[in-house]
Amino acid sequence: MSWQRIRTVVRRHAYVLWRSPNRWFDIAFWPLMDVLLWGSLGTYVASQSPASRAGTPYLLAGIVMFHVLFQTQIALNTGFMEETWSRNLLNIMVTPVTELEYVAGVGMFGAVKLVLAGVTLTCTAIGFFGFNVASIGWSLVPIGLVLVVAGWSIAFLVIGLMLRFGQSAEILAWGLNFVVMALSGVFNPIAALPGALQPIARLLPTTHAFAALRVVLDGHPLPGGQLLLAAIGSVVGLGLAVGFCVHMLRVFRRRGFVTRFS
Amino acid sequence: MAPERGDGAWDAGRVESPVDPVLAARRLVKSFGKVRAVDGVDVVVRAGERVGLLGPNGAGKTTTLLMLLGAVTPDGGTITIAGHRLPRSRSKAMAHVGFAAGYLPLPDRLRVREVLGVFAGLYGVRDEKAAVAEGLERFEVGHLADRMCNELSSGQRTLVGIVKAVLHRPRLLVLDEPTASLDPDVAQRVRAGVLDLCSHDGTALLVTSHDMREVELLAERVVFLVAGRVIADGSPAVIAQRFGHDDLEAVFVHLAGGGALPEDFDDVIGRGGPR
Repeated sequence: MSWQRIRTVVRRHAYVLWRSPNRWFDIAFWPLMDVLLWGSLGTYVASQSPASRAGTPYLLAGIVMFHVLFQTQIALNTGFMEETWSRNLLNIMVTPVTELEYVAGVGMFGAVKLVLAGVTLTCTAIGFFGFNVASIGWSLVPIGLVLVVAGWSIAFLVIGLMLRFGQSAEILAWGLNFVVMALSGVFNPIAALPGALQPIARLLPTTHAFAALRVVLDGHPLPGGQLLLAAIGSVVGLGLAVGFCVHMLRVFRRRGFVTRFS
Repeated sequence: MAPERGDGAWDAGRVESPVDPVLAARRLVKSFGKVRAVDGVDVVVRAGERVGLLGPNGAGKTTTLLMLLGAVTPDGGTITIAGHRLPRSRSKAMAHVGFAAGYLPLPDRLRVREVLGVFAGLYGVRDEKAAVAEGLERFEVGHLADRMCNELSSGQRTLVGIVKAVLHRPRLLVLDEPTASLDPDVAQRVRAGVLDLCSHDGTALLVTSHDMREVELLAERVVFLVAGRVIADGSPAVIAQRFGHDDLEAVFVHLAGGGALPEDFDDVIGRGGPR
């Protein structure tokens, strides 16, 4: 591992973010819109039935923590896609940078983007709705870590699919996290899902992470068992996704798919 | 009479060097589905040697180059660069290789100085700024340093692409169609810069081109591919002479048009299956 090469990958993507106003949508515009949308909905629900638990805290905490997963995933995916959009993949592949170094660099820059998006989300939630997600306390840290790992899993799965099927698979970078959002009970217990989907939802580590979040929001201690389940599930998911991606990279090299991107 | 290589391909006028090859690819094979794109190709480039890889469209040049660069995995054969075997030591091998292609763009949204700095970093250059300044100066494009890459003309982009490929002073420079679609004066600057680099730094060169005059200017030796096989390996002048033509262009036109090989080639070009 070369720290210089990892740092260089971070610098390359920092240049792109700095020069591309459209890239700020992911870390500023969408977080702002999500807080407005879900915060307003929560305020309305609370005004209709003040005793309801499905008010502003549930919705805002849900969307803020969902963004941990989304930002982690989309940063890794757009980092890879940037090289395909600018037809730079071959240029990168013929340098000494290794796959691990490249992923580490994009992942580090993704962490920076996650912090920037987190600032947007937190400030907007406080400013518009007086909700401070930090008031939930340190319990957010382990839940957030599970969501980061889940975000990486989705990202590796999508990169693997893009290596195999080309740019037509790009849509999954945005599509898959909506599937996860719908099935993971980000805002509500999965008991509210159609019965046929509930077993699938239970298999997702994100479901247990968001369930743990609601337990904490209700004023109870962090449910260790549920969080452990989420952690194990997310680590297993990451292992499977990385394995899939590595296999697809072998197929990519064996079948000469680099010419699709150059 | 020119010596013949062990695999039967013509080895005209090649002088064996005691120096270890910077690139040694042996019996490369690559198929895509039922199509055999590369069929037992040997490419050896010695330190400081300038070699042209030629052939008509579909001959397997680009596939061969991509395998030599580690971007495509061969079905068979071995590749060693500067003593490092691919694919296991790809990263170490690539530290000794620079690659530029006329068809490859530079990353958008970056200034020339920035993109060169990024590639210097990826190649592990210690003093990135000095390497970038020296590279730009060498190819006389220092005035482009603060231009955005997407604002460059194709000639400027090619020159910057070559600067990018030599920032780390590679032992082997691989150029794929370096002057395709360039004006003659710009193409001449590219050739002069490459020759200057090779003579001063002792950099070996492997170049593909459809401009046979360019190949005669750049390459001391030519590896000629047809249908994924090496059919000739030797100096441009001797190859032209053996085909009964005055220059490489006439040989190329002859082969691309399905022309026959000299009698002593018949057993090579007509043979089926892997060798």
